Amino acid sequence: MTDRKYSVASIGSRIDGFLRLTLQNAGFKASYEIQDVASSGDEFETPDVVVKFAGPDVDLILANRAELLLALEHVTMEMLDMPSEDHSRISFDANDYRLLRIEELRLSALTAAEKVKRTGAPFRFNPMNSRERRVIHLALRGDTAVRSESAGSGPQRQVVVYPAGMASLPELPYAPAPRHSGPPRGDRGGPPRGGRDRDRGGRDRGGRPPRPRP
Amino acid sequence: MKQLIEDIAKALVDIPEEVVVKEVLGEQVTVLELRVAASDLGKVIGKQGRTARSIRTILGAAGMKLNRRFTLEILE
Repeated sequence: MTDRKYSVASIGSRIDGFLRLTLQNAGFKASYEIQDVASSGDEFETPDVVVKFAGPDVDLILANRAELLLALEHVTMEMLDMPSEDHSRISFDANDYRLLRIEELRLSALTAAEKVKRTGAPFRFNPMNSRERRVIHLALRGDTAVRSESAGSGPQRQVVVYPAGMASLPELPYAPAPRHSGPPRGDRGGPPRGGRDRDRGGRDRGGRPPRPRP
Repeated sequence: MKQLIEDIAKALVDIPEEVVVKEVLGEQVTVLELRVAASDLGKVIGKQGRTARSIRTILGAAGMKLNRRFTLEILE
């Protein structure tokens, strides 16, 4: 994709110092390896450096859609003062979570595209971070029958898939905690109105088909 | 936990000498009050509050291992 910008030689010891202290202070039982990544030509994710975790607390690290893994990654990149456009250059991982997640996102992108073509209605994914949204956009890039765009802001930003010629829906008003009340809206990943079929086994919650492993 | 927050905050800010963490013990929950230099506030909060949210996630997971709830207050 682009030239290597970071390497174990340039940032490895700072990552190591920060992580060692943080894991120890937090009482997380995990080890990690910091490795350079040979460029793979995979357009979905080509980090320069990967940090791989192992050990008894990997389950905790990967719980809740790898919430802790992503938090450690984010704080580490902020500690390194990396500009946000570089944030895909370092990737934290454990048990191949990242690879499996990308596969999962690609599959849900294709499922969403099929559904949009069949129903003619837009499909709204659950909110995702920019790296995950990018995977969805890339997966749909070759499909001329649909188009995808991101809508909303901050942690609520989400991908919406439309039939190719359809105009964008108006942005939902920003509401920090709408999940518990009111009629169902787009935040469960279903299309905004109608067309929600429940007869296909998979529940089509945006970005989350059944996973074969915990 | 005080040490956890203090070390993370010091790693993020420009003026680590001004990082102060105070631990307030409640019955159910321990509150950690973080103070940093005014010019460093953005560094611990981050865009859209993402850095603060990440620190809270780390704190929450660490607290889970101790069966205790911790909350982080970032004070101006």
